[in-house]
Amino acid sequence: MPQQFLAQGEQLQVPAIDFAAVLPILIVFGAASIGVLLEAFLPKHQRWSSQIALSLTGIVGAGIALAAYISDAPEGGITTFMAQGATTGAIAVDTPALFLWGTLLALGLASLLMIGDRSLEPGGAFISQAGLQSGGLQTREQANVTGMQTEIFPLTLFALGGMMTFVAANDLLTMFIALEVLSLPLYLMAGLARRRRLLSQEAAVKYFLLGAFASAFFLYGVALLYGYAGSVKLAEIAAATAGSSASDTLLYAGIGLVVVGLLFKGSVGPFHTWTPDVYQGAPTPVTGFMAACTKVAAFGGMLRVLTVAFEPASWEWEVPLWLIAVISMAIGAIFGLTQRDLKRMIAYSSIAHAGFLVVGAMTLTEDGLSSTLFYLLAYGFTTIAVFGVISLVRDANGEATDLSSWAGLAKRSPLVAGVFTFLLLALAGIPLTSGFIGKFAVFSAALADGNAALVVIALVASAVAAFFYLRVVVLMYFSEPAAEGPAVTVPGAFTTAAITLGTAATLVLGIVPAFALNWASAGGFVP
Amino acid sequence: MTPTYYLLLSALLFAIGAVGVLVRRNAIVVFMCIELMLNSVNLSLVTFARINGELDGQVMAFFVMVVAAAEVVVGLAIIMAIFRARRSASVDDTNLLKY
Amino acid sequence: MTSFSQAAVVLAQQGGEDVVGTGEAIAFWVLGPLALAGGLGMIFVRNAVHSALWLVVSMLSFGVLYIVQSAPFLGFTQIIVYTGAVMMLFLFVLMMAGRDSADSMVEVLRGQRLLAALFGIGFATLLVGALARSLVNVQAQVPPDPYDPARGGGAGGLGRLVFTDFLFAFELTAALLIVAALAGIVLAYRDRREGPKRSQRDLVEARFRGEYKRRSPQPGPGVFATGNSVATPALLPDGSIAPESLSELIESTNTARLIAEQDRVLGSQAEHDDSRALLAGEDEQGSEQEGERK
Repeated sequence: MPQQFLAQGEQLQVPAIDFAAVLPILIVFGAASIGVLLEAFLPKHQRWSSQIALSLTGIVGAGIALAAYISDAPEGGITTFMAQGATTGAIAVDTPALFLWGTLLALGLASLLMIGDRSLEPGGAFISQAGLQSGGLQTREQANVTGMQTEIFPLTLFALGGMMTFVAANDLLTMFIALEVLSLPLYLMAGLARRRRLLSQEAAVKYFLLGAFASAFFLYGVALLYGYAGSVKLAEIAAATAGSSASDTLLYAGIGLVVVGLLFKGSVGPFHTWTPDVYQGAPTPVTGFMAACTKVAAFGGMLRVLTVAFEPASWEWEVPLWLIAVISMAIGAIFGLTQRDLKRMIAYSSIAHAGFLVVGAMTLTEDGLSSTLFYLLAYGFTTIAVFGVISLVRDANGEATDLSSWAGLAKRSPLVAGVFTFLLLALAGIPLTSGFIGKFAVFSAALADGNAALVVIALVASAVAAFFYLRVVVLMYFSEPAAEGPAVTVPGAFTTAAITLGTAATLVLGIVPAFALNWASAGGFVP
Repeated sequence: MTPTYYLLLSALLFAIGAVGVLVRRNAIVVFMCIELMLNSVNLSLVTFARINGELDGQVMAFFVMVVAAAEVVVGLAIIMAIFRARRSASVDDTNLLKY
Repeated sequence: MTSFSQAAVVLAQQGGEDVVGTGEAIAFWVLGPLALAGGLGMIFVRNAVHSALWLVVSMLSFGVLYIVQSAPFLGFTQIIVYTGAVMMLFLFVLMMAGRDSADSMVEVLRGQRLLAALFGIGFATLLVGALARSLVNVQAQVPPDPYDPARGGGAGGLGRLVFTDFLFAFELTAALLIVAALAGIVLAYRDRREGPKRSQRDLVEARFRGEYKRRSPQPGPGVFATGNSVATPALLPDGSIAPESLSELIESTNTARLIAEQDRVLGSQAEHDDSRALLAGEDEQGSEQEGERK
């Protein structure tokens, strides 16, 4: 019986694929897959160097492909992977997507440099064999073994590819799968720290369980929206909102659940509970990667969903999002004040910044879009550099992240303290840094959209948050260093490059932001 | 009877799974509750596909199964790793990271 | 399978306008409560393995409900892949890890259970109420015939969609599966560090070349010993402990963990089921802190 049906079967029409447009994604995934093969076939001592070379080549190659495509990208963007007879494809390549791809690739490059660094800690920040039981004799023995779990490089590339897909996904199913592709490697990477294994594994479990919980909510939202619109394509959901016979309850519940899933990934309060723990427990290079790139991906996806799919229903979700932005800013600013651990403090700072980003994301004007994109770019570079600097200050137990051990750092190492001060000022949003331009752009866009109350609250929150950044600065400059305090390690070329890249971008975007702002506002989402 | 009953069943089971995640202490059981949530989403997807008289929902349910399978592998590997370190799979025991 | 799913289709198509036939209604009213019971059983049973088995009940019911809803391929995938493979993986891990770990009844976060239950009931009421009110006169369309290769449902139709509308999603799952395989490798693989295995003769020669501290085996418990475990040191005739009989491994292991293991072997755990209760003082402190945090 089956043969007879197969014989009758029509020829399948392969969807139209614009390979040039999606080449960056394909290169990143391709490099990741080759990385897995290298893991399998190369002897141990060659793996690190070849993985580094491959990953850097992959990211740079993807960047070149991106630049080549941008130079003659069609006006207004395209969608590709379009099935026969469909109106939109699965992947949208438009200005925001290209901008976010560029951002992700640059941030991914910096993170990869930090992940690959072996100068700060013999063998790198990652354990050489995660399979060994922690706390046992073997692990102690292993702490002296130089070498790291080099699978981290393909995992990073997979996560990066997932993020790039996530910001370009034009239907909710692709978005969901991209969400998983970006999350699963991160869950794993969070648990691979060389030092403080138990903390690291705990961070991995927490991140995993809460992440899976949130993605279940996202998925249920997708199902309800499918029930409402009869399709998961963003454009068709928007069309159905205008005139669907189905009940609006499905739409509202679906929007709510999908947005909750996205807010979770963007670590927006009150869905932030995982953030401090995971930021603190994960190895610092991974924390930097997560803090910068995941946030870019989550908010990139949120911008697209809110603008393309949910805009016709905007009066319905504006008030809840307004509240969420306020809650997130408040949580970040207030709890940040009470932190004793530097990584936790930055985690709360990222929650506050997520609140500012929500302010930008819910402003559905052209300015709102471009300012949010710029904010993501600026914030990503600053955060990566911050975590790079945090990884430099070490004592016998590895990184010294307790605030007290940073006292008087300026006397030990004026350069590191100076760079860190600059970065903290950027996070606080002081003029001449990218943070200021970003905040200014986002707030003025929100103001123009008539959200004055929210902008006032955001200004208050940034003033409160500025206080805890300044506390660290004061601590570094006006306290006596502890007698047996940590030493500032001289970083190797990789970490130096990453910190320099982040700091330079923070400075450049603060002084001459026009080119980035112009690029960000060059076009909107493809409908 | 209308297909709506399937949707109600699936909503109920989704809520049960969510409560399970919040109430249970064993990480593996918490994870099973998440699987129940994914399964009830699948039931919704299949039912919506039926209501719409098309197959998209079924394909999505199929993809969800693939994703869930991959997630199970990663999740169980992480949980096993921490179990080997602590001899306990209780989420209460993962308490080194807190305020 | 064929006749079953055809029967399902026939059942589903009975009754003209109303595509939900009596047969399907019966199937639903049998399997729906069963699935619900499975879910409730899973969260209320204390033993983790029993939880898994309840979940299997739910999943099997789901599988059959898919078949009844004219999605035979998904139904069988559900039963074979989910119930067969995924749940067996869960059971396997449970047997290795948490077999004897009944959930403790101690609330670490005060009032958390109550809050969770309230949240659940609220969420369920909201969702079910809203859905029930909004979907009153929904009628199912006639499902695509699973045996029509051109436009039909069934595995062929799914395959057609996978390779057209959802092609990119399909390619993307490849990345997911590679990551899953890598996860297993990264977290479970350990390579052996020692070189080729040494024979007994090699060992003897190595001993006499002085590569080991002793040439003879370690002393046994001896006649004055009260037990013959390696944890019991050998006693010298004057009753003192023979230092060389102390096992390095045991001496270097964390005492708290040894005591915990001993307790477990002796079965004294029965009094306090909660594994955290072993460190009573610390535990209370911890939960107080968490309580404050709440």
